[in-house]
Amino acid sequence: MAIIRTKGLTYTYPVATKPAVDGVSITIEKGEFAVLTGPSGCGKTTLCRCFNGLIPHFYRGDLRGQLQVTGLDVKETPIHELALHVGLVFQNPENQLFALSVEKDVAFGLENLGMPRNEMQKQVDYALETSGISHLRLKAPHELSGGQQQRVAIAGIIAMQPEVMVLDEPTSFLDPLGAEKIFKVVRALNQEHHMTVILVEHRLDLAARYADHVIVMDRGKVILDGEPKDVLSSEKARLIGVGIPKVTLLYQQLAEVGLLKTNEVPLSSEEITALLRGVLND
Amino acid sequence: MSFFDGLKFRRVDSAVHLMDPRVKFFYVLAIFVIAILFHELIPLIILFLVQIPLVILARVKREWLRSLRGAAFLATVIFGTNLLFRFIYGGYSLIPSDVEHASAMTLRFLVLVESFSIFFLTTSPDHLGLALEQSHIPYEFCFAFTTAVRFVPVLAEEAQTIMDAQKARGLELEKGNFLKRIRNYIPILIPLIISAIRRSLELAEAMESRAWGAIQKRTNLYVLGLKATDYSMILISSLILVIGVYIRFSISIPSFST
Ligand SMILES: Nc1ncnc2c1ncn2[C@@H]1O[C@H](COP(=O)(O)OP(=O)(O)OP(=O)(O)O)[C@@H](O)[C@H]1O
Ligand SMILES: [Mg+2]
Repeated sequence: MAIIRTKGLTYTYPVATKPAVDGVSITIEKGEFAVLTGPSGCGKTTLCRCFNGLIPHFYRGDLRGQLQVTGLDVKETPIHELALHVGLVFQNPENQLFALSVEKDVAFGLENLGMPRNEMQKQVDYALETSGISHLRLKAPHELSGGQQQRVAIAGIIAMQPEVMVLDEPTSFLDPLGAEKIFKVVRALNQEHHMTVILVEHRLDLAARYADHVIVMDRGKVILDGEPKDVLSSEKARLIGVGIPKVTLLYQQLAEVGLLKTNEVPLSSEEITALLRGVLND
Repeated sequence: MSFFDGLKFRRVDSAVHLMDPRVKFFYVLAIFVIAILFHELIPLIILFLVQIPLVILARVKREWLRSLRGAAFLATVIFGTNLLFRFIYGGYSLIPSDVEHASAMTLRFLVLVESFSIFFLTTSPDHLGLALEQSHIPYEFCFAFTTAVRFVPVLAEEAQTIMDAQKARGLELEKGNFLKRIRNYIPILIPLIISAIRRSLELAEAMESRAWGAIQKRTNLYVLGLKATDYSMILISSLILVIGVYIRFSISIPSFST
């Protein structure tokens, strides 16, 4: 079942002359882990803003085409109603925390919705638990590392229990270890809590192995859309400079010189190790 | 940041920290009124000493001392000017009661500093925002207040980073006369303002994404309620107020110098 469906989606910012998103038609299935990638400035953030209604309600501008998210027509639905269905985590962890303590911040969305206190407390506990930051609940945002701040932002979304979580380069300000922790939380949400995840990511080394679906954009258009193995091993992806995982590149080179003869495209070091072991044992 | 340290909140698990900010504010007001009523040294000394148990109870002794030390310079100025005026009005001579008066004025100032620092040291900005909210101040205003407090350390850090970056490019802050020095700060202020504007746009976006303004009557994770300690604090403050006013108007106060 499709949870997000766009058809010929085209959007132009108020002062811009050409569209930032240009004729995008994609479908995201319920429960999927989708990775959205592409060179800088290709319109990934703009597309994320469309998913939760910031475009067109906050940014105005000119939105054309069809855009349905969890069965709702985004153009007709106010942002605060879409917020119940789609959570958006931003790139800069610092600028999405408002309160002076972690738990208060996590509760922010629920407070806005007018949830009764005892219920809210339960939801906050659940969100803190799921993102592994229960021990930080009384800390102030500036006492936290970037990775911890980003997990607070994620917890703030979890607390609202949307069906879809969209994360816009959540790890670009973080060190690899912090990034790894974020991916683990997101992965658990997808696997154990059946949340649909859309992750925007430049560096696919860590993210690709979790994906069910990879979408590559370039200059506002979707140029590749499909299974991770197909997309990442395609020539087109390499040409526009997508951050293809190193193991996949290694596999391609080995395949070119004829050392590997399989159709199994590896996306993680574990997978390529298994492949190589198979070859060496022959 | 050391300038604010004497008033900066630190989370401590104490009865005073848990008190309702409105109650503590009432206490500050009571002390304020009484301190203004008296200009004699002895009652002000008492007023200064009565507050010390509260500081000990709140376990903020070190920070509290630091706030007093921060006030030392102003206190000296107050003492000096008072003495100077007495000296001029007294026909260019000083008697012991002049010194006593100047000390009393200085102590009055210190009593005020003392009570304010107790308030700010033991009241989390979160609680303060909540107290504003529950005093029927519009939520938008309370939110602006807590968010401003939230971003003070962030902007301070950013200002430092920009200053370092501009210095590395050869900007000399401490050069030239007064006006020139102010102008030196422009290359620091402009990036700071631009980044603050960008920040506020991103914040607005994040707020919208979390259902800001979904309904009229939003709820709150915390609520302030009066507890036994709050009632005893109200009682103590009222007693200070009543006793102070009574003494002021019906008992003549002894002095050290007469
Ligand atoms: N608020 C805005 N107003 C006007 N134009 C914008 C705005 N935000 C982005 N753009 C433009 O839209 C285009 C797409 O930008 P977008 O931020 O969506 O790219 P991106 O894929 O997220 O890039 P990055 O990887 O750098 O985050 C760019 O040309 C950009 O200049
Ligand atoms: Mg972006």
